[in-house]
Amino acid sequence: MSEGRQIGEVILDLKNISLRFGGVKALTDISFDVREHEVRAIIGPNGAGKSSMLNVINGVYRPQEGDIVFRGKHHRDMNTYEAAKAGIARTFQNIALFKGMTVLDNIMTGRNLKMKSNFLLDALYWGPAQREEIAHRRKVEEIIDFLEIQHIRKTPVARLPYGLQKRVELGRALAAEPSILLLDEPMAGMNVEEKQDMCRFILDVNDQLGTTIVLIEHDMGVVMDISDRVVVLDYGKKIADGTPDEVRANQDVIDAYLGVAH
Amino acid sequence: MSDNVRLSSLSTFPRLLKHHAQVRPNHPATREKDLGIWQTWTWSQVAEEVRAMACGLAELGFKRGDNLAIIGDNRPRLYWAMYAAQCLGGVPVPLYQDAVAAEMVFVLQDAGIKFAIVEDQEQVDKLLENMSQCPDLQHILYDDPRGLRHYNQAFLHGLDEVQEMGRIHNRNHPEFLDGEIELGKSDDVAVMLYTSGTTGKPKGVCQTHGAFIAAAQSGCEFDKLGPDDNILSYLPMAWVGDHLFSFAQAAYAGFTINCPESGDTVMTDMREIGPSYYFAPPRVFENLLTQVMIRMEDAGALKRNMFHYFMGVARRCGAEILDGKPVSGTDRLLYALGNLLVYGPLRNVLGMSRIRVAYTAGAAIGPDLFRFYRSIGVNLKQLYGATETCAAVCLQPDGQIKFDTVGPPAPGVEVKIDDSGEVLVRGAVMLKEYYKRPDATAESIDAQGYFHTGDAGFFDEDGHLKIIDRAKDVGKLASGAMFAPNYIENKLKFFSHIKEAVAFGDRKDEVCAFINIDMGAVGNWAERRNIAYSGYTDLAQKTEVYELIRECVEQANAELAHDAMLSDSQVHRFLILHKELDPDDDELTRTRKVRRGFIAEKYGVLIDALYSGKASQFIETEVKFEDGRKGKVSADLRIMEAKTFPSQAAKKAA
Amino acid sequence: MQFFLEVLIGGLLSGVMYALVALGYVLIYKASGVFNFAQGAMVFFAALTTAGLVDSGLSLWLAAPLTMVAMVALGLLTEKIVLRPLVAQHEITLFMATIGLTFFVEGLAQAIWGANVRSLDLGIEDVPLEWLLENANIAISQFDLVASGIAAALVTMLAIFFSKTKIGRALRAVADDHQAALSIGIPLQHIWGIVWGVAGFVALVAGLLWGSRNGVQFALTFVALKALPVLILGGFTSVPGAIVGGLIIGASEKLAEVYIGPHVGGGIEGWFPYVLALLFLLVRPEGLFGEKIIRRI
Repeated sequence: MSEGRQIGEVILDLKNISLRFGGVKALTDISFDVREHEVRAIIGPNGAGKSSMLNVINGVYRPQEGDIVFRGKHHRDMNTYEAAKAGIARTFQNIALFKGMTVLDNIMTGRNLKMKSNFLLDALYWGPAQREEIAHRRKVEEIIDFLEIQHIRKTPVARLPYGLQKRVELGRALAAEPSILLLDEPMAGMNVEEKQDMCRFILDVNDQLGTTIVLIEHDMGVVMDISDRVVVLDYGKKIADGTPDEVRANQDVIDAYLGVAH
Repeated sequence: MSDNVRLSSLSTFPRLLKHHAQVRPNHPATREKDLGIWQTWTWSQVAEEVRAMACGLAELGFKRGDNLAIIGDNRPRLYWAMYAAQCLGGVPVPLYQDAVAAEMVFVLQDAGIKFAIVEDQEQVDKLLENMSQCPDLQHILYDDPRGLRHYNQAFLHGLDEVQEMGRIHNRNHPEFLDGEIELGKSDDVAVMLYTSGTTGKPKGVCQTHGAFIAAAQSGCEFDKLGPDDNILSYLPMAWVGDHLFSFAQAAYAGFTINCPESGDTVMTDMREIGPSYYFAPPRVFENLLTQVMIRMEDAGALKRNMFHYFMGVARRCGAEILDGKPVSGTDRLLYALGNLLVYGPLRNVLGMSRIRVAYTAGAAIGPDLFRFYRSIGVNLKQLYGATETCAAVCLQPDGQIKFDTVGPPAPGVEVKIDDSGEVLVRGAVMLKEYYKRPDATAESIDAQGYFHTGDAGFFDEDGHLKIIDRAKDVGKLASGAMFAPNYIENKLKFFSHIKEAVAFGDRKDEVCAFINIDMGAVGNWAERRNIAYSGYTDLAQKTEVYELIRECVEQANAELAHDAMLSDSQVHRFLILHKELDPDDDELTRTRKVRRGFIAEKYGVLIDALYSGKASQFIETEVKFEDGRKGKVSADLRIMEAKTFPSQAAKKAA
Repeated sequence: MQFFLEVLIGGLLSGVMYALVALGYVLIYKASGVFNFAQGAMVFFAALTTAGLVDSGLSLWLAAPLTMVAMVALGLLTEKIVLRPLVAQHEITLFMATIGLTFFVEGLAQAIWGANVRSLDLGIEDVPLEWLLENANIAISQFDLVASGIAAALVTMLAIFFSKTKIGRALRAVADDHQAALSIGIPLQHIWGIVWGVAGFVALVAGLLWGSRNGVQFALTFVALKALPVLILGGFTSVPGAIVGGLIIGASEKLAEVYIGPHVGGGIEGWFPYVLALLFLLVRPEGLFGEKIIRRI
């Protein structure tokens, strides 16, 4: 793994992104970049286009204009599957876990792209397929250990409280060993203690695994604490971009959050 | 039993370890669940690990007479660290891992700790924060390196790295460690366990190898524990019970200890391991039972009815069958059927399928709770002991189980009751001294060599010890009869509807009591009867609730009447308090023990009312809310008489 | 007693074969939320194709694999041509599409092989097992025993496949949440393709067994309808449910025929399972093993 956390080169560059749904402009001419190993936050009031932005990166939406450069490759019409293959993992605002499956199985699905054995061997659950399964299981157990969820390993996800589900979802995203992790409001709906835990996990992931993190978060305090750089959206436009301190001092940001009329 | 003969000649724990490594090198000694898989270390592997750790410690400068702090959850390497320290003639000092910093600092200072072995980053951080207050502390060793990569203090060492150092040291000086082990003597201090101490600062209890080996030996022989037993090690390592069961007895009998994956997984891990030997405080047994009951309430009607029917059968004859007493053929048959359908599956869910012997201690256990486990075929027994006596004073022998005694004195232990009713103990299991506290040592060990336990009790007609209270709390009624408030309060608290009770009676004619109802249980009870209430104060003063509590009190009285020593302590009058006793209002200690003196002072007016025979009394009390605000609660409290019974024991005698 | 056992065992054995057909439905329903009405037609298609190939001179050992190829191709094509364009449409739309598919597949089979009743010989004789007849005086058909043995093996294999393997897990993931499955890199189309292929394979085995037992004819599609009460009993989303449901239906219809039938005039085997399913719907609409749906208000 990486030697500590040294913020590196730009690995994701978004250039002049515009996204429309019919006549509605969701994003207008947005550019920003993400550097390797950093924690990058996207903030903004409700309806600012934060989730749309994440969906663009992850290939759910295809922007009408603009260019996405990920690790030197241009990616404007990448779909979700290709994004996942390229090393972009994500979590969802409303938790999209496989509810009927156990925690272990959920995280195992996250290893899907890493598994190589072919259909026939897999069907027979034999030889290399079984060995591979065991190797991946070990990796998944490390994640379970990392997130301290051993006690719910065999519990169906639907039975877990919200905060733990969020943690499992993070686990599933981590299982893919992504180079970029997109977190859509990882702390929404959590109590103070759960938020603290989640912060700790996010920072640990960033620090120990060197994973680059892009996150959307409502809780300003949290964002300012854990991010290296923050981009602020309002009404689908970028109004500020910089370190937490710079952003905090920016008059446009203050106005946007206090609801000054445009 | 040639093995036993040889065992008894092994006078220190490191020698026991070497013995097992020779006699049963491939027998599992320690297991730990890590990354979802149970890892096993055999006795010879453990001996190697300990050797590496001890040599590594020696390399760092750990010497004979040094104390080694051990802080963390139950981890194999923390258990091994105890052997490692002992090999070098040092003394392991396990600390409670969840202790607040101030308590930890006190022990670190008091024991003059230079070396500490801790579990993980959390504990390292705790120590680093308080380094300035512990000038003696020179080295911190950690088990789990996670999160510690960026810590570059020179005095921090990973155990891996220390063990590697030790292996090299051992290659260069292969004779060194065995020489050190040979220097160990039976009356060297083997471990120092700090007592939490209800009053004053904690004291370090120094126990010798000889004492703990004696305690382990008597326990193992008493219950025929052998190398094939298994125990789940999940209670704090700093607690004497865990030290006796998971360290001393395992080292003596050579059985396997199993470390759970984490505190949250104990239930699952227990099911997977299926221990044959188990120890838990009453609180754990109670939680397990509650979980079972909740699950049964949610189950389908068929299952629920079957459960209740067979639990009825078990109540009738389960405990008797376990004790080998005569039981009718029909009951035997029904019990066998119940075992197939209910008790067996239930034991399996609880992870108790393979338990041969289970113990509980540390607090009074409710008779219903106790009976429940015995009736489903779990051989649950009680024991009595203290940190100062290696937790081994009295044990209940199989087949002679009583719900309210702790059994006869263990082999080799002498127990005497002094004139004031205090329990005195003498024998090999006694402490050597309190660390650097000759005053305290002199105070608790008298000229005849008896240790004063501070507990009050008496022997019943079968020679079983019955513990009733802390000696300092025991008083006398005006009639001269013994008054043991704790005993009465516990009896009342065993009813699920009663949460707290405070008994008064010292130097009075009769016993009276304050009651706190259990909001959950009574609230539920009221709802099922369609009794509307607006909150605790309102519910507590309902006539129906008073009647409910009166029944409980009278039942307790009936039981007290059976006891010659305590029949005068029946509760004549009681009232239900208008507010819940709360540690925030200083009415309870943080560990939820009632502060009788404080309460008596605060509610003096209520006590006067109880003894003056009034029917009700107005009271207003200031309370602190959770957010720190203050408010007042007031109510007109009713006072109720409870029926008392003539002493049964006296009748028998007449 | 012997007679009772004989009926019971016979029922259970045919139950295993119902389970096999039901499994085809469960697979597709689980993975894509489509109730594939055409499963019965696929069974028919498979049986007819094999029988047709055998009649035209091929050996069974060649005809069966060839049909297998055809079945998988049929499954994959169905997924690609019929269902993929309908992704994210309403469930009822998909259901209607599979009804259309039913007529198409049935028509196709008959267009190629004609509408005559054909026989299919798997080389297993439909005679009572001698050993059992001599020792316990119970008559159990050797064919039924072998057939249900094959079916049971297949069902077990599939159950292990879905619970233990990567694809099985991916399939359950897809069934649970499409979007999330995509985001972690599970190729949706790939999985659906596999499922349709497997469903085709299951249809083949069922077609061979049923066709050999009852003759290869259009009525085979009705056998597939017997899978409906099985599904209602077992739940639409559960592999073990399909097995247990099949056993219950198989055993109860035979027992009902023998013990209740004479009192109501006989021939109740045909409709008894449906009545049973109907009653069951009243008590436990989600099926024995189905996911309990709790709607929060």
